Formats: sequence, C-alpha cells, structure tokens
Amino acid sequence: MKYLALIYADEQAWDRLADGDRQAMYARYREFADSAAAKLAGGGELAPTRAATTVRVRGDDTLVADGPFAETKEALGGFFVFDCKSMDEAVALAATIPGAEHGAVEVRPAHTEGAE
Amino acid sequence: MKYLLLLTNHADHLAQWRAASDEENRRLRAQESPKWGEFFSWLEEKGIEADGLELDDPKLARTVRVRDGETLVTDGPYAETKEQVGGYFVVECKDLDDAIEVASRVPVARRAPVEIRPLVTQ
Repeated sequence: MKYLALIYADEQAWDRLADGDRQAMYARYREFADSAAAKLAGGGELAPTRAATTVRVRGDDTLVADGPFAETKEALGGFFVFDCKSMDEAVALAATIPGAEHGAVEVRPAHTEGAE
Repeated sequence: MKYLLLLTNHADHLAQWRAASDEENRRLRAQESPKWGEFFSWLEEKGIEADGLELDDPKLARTVRVRDGETLVTDGPYAETKEQVGGYFVVECKDLDDAIEVASRVPVARRAPVEIRPLVTQ
C-alpha cells in the first residue's frame, strides 16, 4: 500500500541556515533515505514556495497565479512516497524523517480501487 | 526539469463524495474516466513522463511531529484549508510553461487548483 508523506517546515528558517547546517540536514536526509530504502517508492525536495505556480481552469480559460494554492504557517518543502503495510507503519516511518523534528509530516494513504 | 503537480479537492466536492453511496461514487468515477483517458493519451502523445498517485480522503490523514524525542500524532491533514491535496504527479517538462499546460489539462483543474512546484535537483 502506498502512502504520501508531505513535509511541512518553516521556509524562512531553511533560507537562513548557514551552508554547513544545510549540508548537515541534507546528510541526515540521505541517512533517512538509506535506512528507509526498502520502503521508499519516491520523493523529492521542492523549490521554495516563491517558485510555486497555481493553475485553475474556468471554462476555456487557464488562470495562472504565483504562489501555492493555500497560505500555511509552514510550507510544503518535500515529500516521500512510502510502500508500507499499514498506516501505523507509515506513521512510524514518517516520524524518522528529519523534518518531523521541527516541522510536521502529513501522511496520506493512496486511494485503492478495492476499497470502493 | 521535474515538477511536482499537486492536485486538490475542494471541500464541497469532498462533502458530495462522502454523502454519495458507493454505487453513486462508482458511477461518478466511471463518468470521469474518459477525461483521464484523454489526459493520459495526450501525455503519451507529447512524450511526457508522469508518475503519480491518487490519494484517499484527507480525513484519513495523520500528521506527525517529533518534539524532544516524543512522537505526536494527530488525526487529519496538516492544514485546515478549503482545498486539500487529492493526488499528485511528478512530470518531466522543458520549462514552467509546459508544466502549466500539463496542469491545465489535468481533469480536476476545472474544479480545484493544481499547484506546480519545481523539484530541486542536487
């Protein structure tokens, strides 16, 4: 069963990090990715929300706006896709993502046809 | 360049789906299915690689925080917003304009926003 882990964190704090601290955080993420490798099915780091674009289609018009669809205190900064047996396992794995220590990780189960 | 496309659901639509019977939901999904078929055919025609997932109801979400070594788990999504993430695609596009075109063709863009986020490549 697939789960999406959405990592929300303070973007400004990330911007302010000294290069050494940032490298240390990347190293911790690599460690996480190595230790969770058997249960990872994807993931990525997102460029800051100032590079976000939101698209809406109304009738024949495509409306394009700068920024994310919702303003939140912390911003979506990255994600992982888990392949786990249960929500509990996915939550336990999410708790080992470095970002969980200063931000929040939202865990979402994938939609499965069989569940309908 | 890789882009994350976050597909969203509006609270009103979620409420409709929750209120509908399984049979009604199956009928609605069947109705939507040709639009998705068209979208996937278009991606294939354009040679755009897309990988993604449709998510289950946001009310099944759990949000995890670790503070001072303690894991705190709350039910529900991170943000209490009118629109919630409902799925995603990672697409390989030449530039943002191409990603906007892909986003505008995602069937759900007609009822809720699609957020485009460039991925950082290291």
